[in-house]
Amino acid sequence: MNVLAMSGRVTTIARNTFLEAVRQRFFNSILTLALAMLLGAHFFQQFNFGASELKFIADFGFGAIFFFGAILAITAMTQLFFSEMENRTALTLLAKPVYRLEFLLGKFFGAQLLMAVFCLVLSLVLMAVMYVRESALIERFPDSFADGRVVQYWDCLLFGFIQWIKFGILSAIALVIASFSNTNLYTVIVSFFVLVICQLQYIAQDAYGEIVNPLGRFAVWLASLLFPNFQVFNVGERMFVSVVEEPLGAMILLGIVLYGVAYTAFFLLLALLHFRNREI
Amino acid sequence: MTSPAIRIKNLTKDFATGIRRTKLRAVDALNLEIGHNEVFGLLGPNGSGKSTTIKIILGLLAPSAGTVEVYGESAVKVAARHSVGFLPEAPYFYRYLSGRELVRFYAKVCGVAPSEREERVQSVIDLVGMAEAAHRRVGTYSKGMLQRIGLAQALVHNPRLVILDEPTAGVDPLGAAAIAEIIRTLKERGKTVLLSSHLLAQIEGMCDRVAILHRGRLIESGTMETLTAEAGLESLVVDRLTDSVRAEVEAVLQRHGKSLRRTEVPRRSLDELFVRSVRERESERLKCGQELSNRGGDK
Amino acid sequence: MKDGWQQYFWMRAGRIGLTLALLVVAGLLLRPLERPLWQAVKAGQPELNLAELEGALGQGILVGVLGGFRAIVADFLWIQTNHYWQQRNRPKTETMIQIVTRLDPRPDFFWFNGARMLAYDIPNWRIRELGGYDVVPQSVQDQIDYEQAMRGIALLEEARSFHPHNPRFVLEIAQIHNFRLKDTETAAEWFFQASQMPGAPHFAARIYAELLRRLDRPMEAYEFLRKHHQSLPKQADPMAEIVLERIRDLEEELRIPLPRRYFPGR
Repeated sequence: MNVLAMSGRVTTIARNTFLEAVRQRFFNSILTLALAMLLGAHFFQQFNFGASELKFIADFGFGAIFFFGAILAITAMTQLFFSEMENRTALTLLAKPVYRLEFLLGKFFGAQLLMAVFCLVLSLVLMAVMYVRESALIERFPDSFADGRVVQYWDCLLFGFIQWIKFGILSAIALVIASFSNTNLYTVIVSFFVLVICQLQYIAQDAYGEIVNPLGRFAVWLASLLFPNFQVFNVGERMFVSVVEEPLGAMILLGIVLYGVAYTAFFLLLALLHFRNREI
Repeated sequence: MTSPAIRIKNLTKDFATGIRRTKLRAVDALNLEIGHNEVFGLLGPNGSGKSTTIKIILGLLAPSAGTVEVYGESAVKVAARHSVGFLPEAPYFYRYLSGRELVRFYAKVCGVAPSEREERVQSVIDLVGMAEAAHRRVGTYSKGMLQRIGLAQALVHNPRLVILDEPTAGVDPLGAAAIAEIIRTLKERGKTVLLSSHLLAQIEGMCDRVAILHRGRLIESGTMETLTAEAGLESLVVDRLTDSVRAEVEAVLQRHGKSLRRTEVPRRSLDELFVRSVRERESERLKCGQELSNRGGDK
Repeated sequence: MKDGWQQYFWMRAGRIGLTLALLVVAGLLLRPLERPLWQAVKAGQPELNLAELEGALGQGILVGVLGGFRAIVADFLWIQTNHYWQQRNRPKTETMIQIVTRLDPRPDFFWFNGARMLAYDIPNWRIRELGGYDVVPQSVQDQIDYEQAMRGIALLEEARSFHPHNPRFVLEIAQIHNFRLKDTETAAEWFFQASQMPGAPHFAARIYAELLRRLDRPMEAYEFLRKHHQSLPKQADPMAEIVLERIRDLEEELRIPLPRRYFPGR
C-alpha cells in the first residue's frame, strides 16, 4: 500500500465529508444552540456572585462543549456514514481503487475536522465571554483580582483540544457500531449507551479493589477493560479557572492525548474489521 | 497469453434473508468471459443476478464460490479496480458539488496525477456533453444529466473496462441515444464496455455480444447475430412491389428452389422516430435562434 | 434453512466474541497508561458520599453527577440555594448548602457564602420568625446568634479538611468569632493562626495585633508586630509602612523609650 497515495485519498474523502457535514442543518443547529447557551452565560450576572461568576461561566461552557459535542460527534459520524450507504455514493466510491480502510479513515477525519471547528469555535467564544466578564469584574471587585487575572486563557484552547481528542474516540465508537449496523437510529442509540458507560467506567475501575466476591470482581474487572475511561478527559476545572490548587502537569496532559489517540486508532481498526466484509 | 477483460468462473453468490436467514441464490455457477474492446450486454429481468454479478466484479460483494478476474487480477483486490470505471444504476452523487467538482473529486480518488487532472476532467466532461452544465450543482441535474456526469466520473481515470449498470433506465429516448453514442465512442477508443439492462430494445444496437441471465443462471450467450437472426432466412428491403412484379420474384425464387416466406413493411422503431424528430426540431430552433441573433447583430 | 440460520448465528457470535476479546486486549494494553492518568485526574475530584446524596438528588441527577457533570450540577443547585435564600426559606437554604458543598467541595465560593448565610443571615430570619428584634428577648437573640454562628463555623471547619492550606477559611472563622460572637479572645487566636499560614493576607496579622490591644495586651501586640514587620519584604512595601505606623502608635501608647524603639534595619 503506497502510504502517500493512501493519505492523498483519505484527505480527499475527508475534505469531501467535511464539506458535506458543514452543509448539514444539524451541525449548524447544534453549533447555534451551543453558542446561544454559552452567550447565555450572562445570565449568571444577576446573582452577583462576584469573582466566582467566572467559575460558573467556565462550568457552563465546559458543560456546553461536552454535551453538545457528544451529541454532534455521535450523530454527525452516524449521519455521514449512513448518508453514503443509503444514497449509494459509497457504491461509486468503493468501486474505485479505494481501500475500505481509506473510506473509513476519510469519513472519520472528515467528522473530526467538523468536531475541530466545533471545539475551536466554542473554546474561542468561551474565552471571549470569560474575558469580557473578567474585565468587568476586575473593575467592580479589584480586591478579588489583587494578583491579576484568574482565568488561564490559553488553557481554554488546550481544554478544547482535549475534548476534541475525546470526541475522536466517541466518533470512532460510533463508526464501529455503524460498520455493522443497518440503521442510523440503532447506531445513535447504542453509541449514546456506550458513551454513558464510558463516562461511568471509572466506577467499575475504582470498585475493583473493594469487591471480595471473585465473580463480582471479575465482572467489574472485565467491564473496566471493555470501555475507555472518559473521566480521564474531565480536566476542565483543573486547567481553566484556578479552583483546584494543583494544576495538571504537562506529562499528564500528554498522556491523556496519547490515551485518546491510542483508543481512537484501536476503534478505527475494529470498525475496519466489521466493515471489510460488509456487503455494499 | 493476455488475460480477458473479465473472466468469471463458476461464480455463485448466496444471500441470507429474513429472520431465519434463508439462503437465496442470486448467481448460480456463472461462467463468462468478456474480451478486449467488446461491448457486452448482461441482460435479464429484474432480480436475475445482473447487479450482483457486477458488484462482485467490482469487489463490492464477496463471491460465495467461484472466481472473478479483471485483466487477470482477482476482483477481490483493490488493484483490479484501477482498470475499471463504474456507473451505478440510478446514480446519486454529492448534491452540493458542481458537476466539475464531482468529476475532479473522483479523479483525485482514482489517483489521476495533478498535472493531468484538469485536462482529464475537461475531456470527460466534453465527451459526455456536460460542458455547459458542469458549473451547476449536481442537485439541480435531471436524470439524464446525472447519468452523463456519472459516466464522466466513471471515465475520468481512463479505465480500460467500463461497467454500466442499467445506463438507460429511467432516461428519456434522447438521453438513451446520447448514452448509446458515448458507448460507441468508447468502443472506438478501444475500451471494453460491460452494460447491464432489462430494457432490451434500447441496448440492442449497442452490444457486440450479450448474455441472458435468469434466476442467476446463464441461459443464452453469444453475438447479436447468432442470437437474434432467424436461422436460414434472409431479408431484402426493396421498393414497394406491384402484384405482377411480386409474382415474378416468387417465380424466380421457385426456380432456384426457394420460397418467399413473408412480406412486410419495414418499420423504424418508435425510439428512432422520437430521436430523429426531436433532433430535427432542435436543429431548426437553433437555426432560427442563429438567424435572429444575426439579424440583431446587423442592426 | 436451519443450516443458514446456524451459520449466521455462529458467524455473528464469532464476530461478537472477537470484538469483545479485542476490547479486553486493548483495555489490558492501555491500562498501564490509563491508571496513572486516572489517579492524577481523580486527585482533583474529592470522594462523593453517594448514600448521602442519593436521597437528596434523585437517581437521574446522580447519574449526571457521576457521569462528569458534577461541577455544573453543583452550580445549578447553588443557584437554587440562592433562590431559597432570597425567599428566606431557612430549612431549604440550610439543606441546599449542605448538598452543594458535599457535591462539589472544590470551589471555596460555596463554603464561604454558605457559612455567611448560616452565620449572618439566618439568625435575622429566625428572630423575625419569632416576632422581630423588638419582641424577642436579648437572651434568645444571643442564643440564636450563637447557634447559627457555630453552624457557620462547623461548615468552615469541614471546608478546611478539603482546603487545609487556604488561610481564607481560618480568617472567615476568625471573623465570625469577632463580629458575630464578639469573642475577641477566640477571634484573636484564629487571626493569629491565619497570619502564620503561607499566602495569608497581611491584614490578618494587623487585626491580630489590634485584637491583642483590645484585650489589654498591647505589649504582646507590639512584640508581634515588630517580628511581623521584620518578616515583610524589604522593599518599600505599603503594607510595611502601615505596620510600622501601628508599631509607632503602640510605642507611643506604651511610652517606649527612644533607644528601645523599633528601627528596621538596625
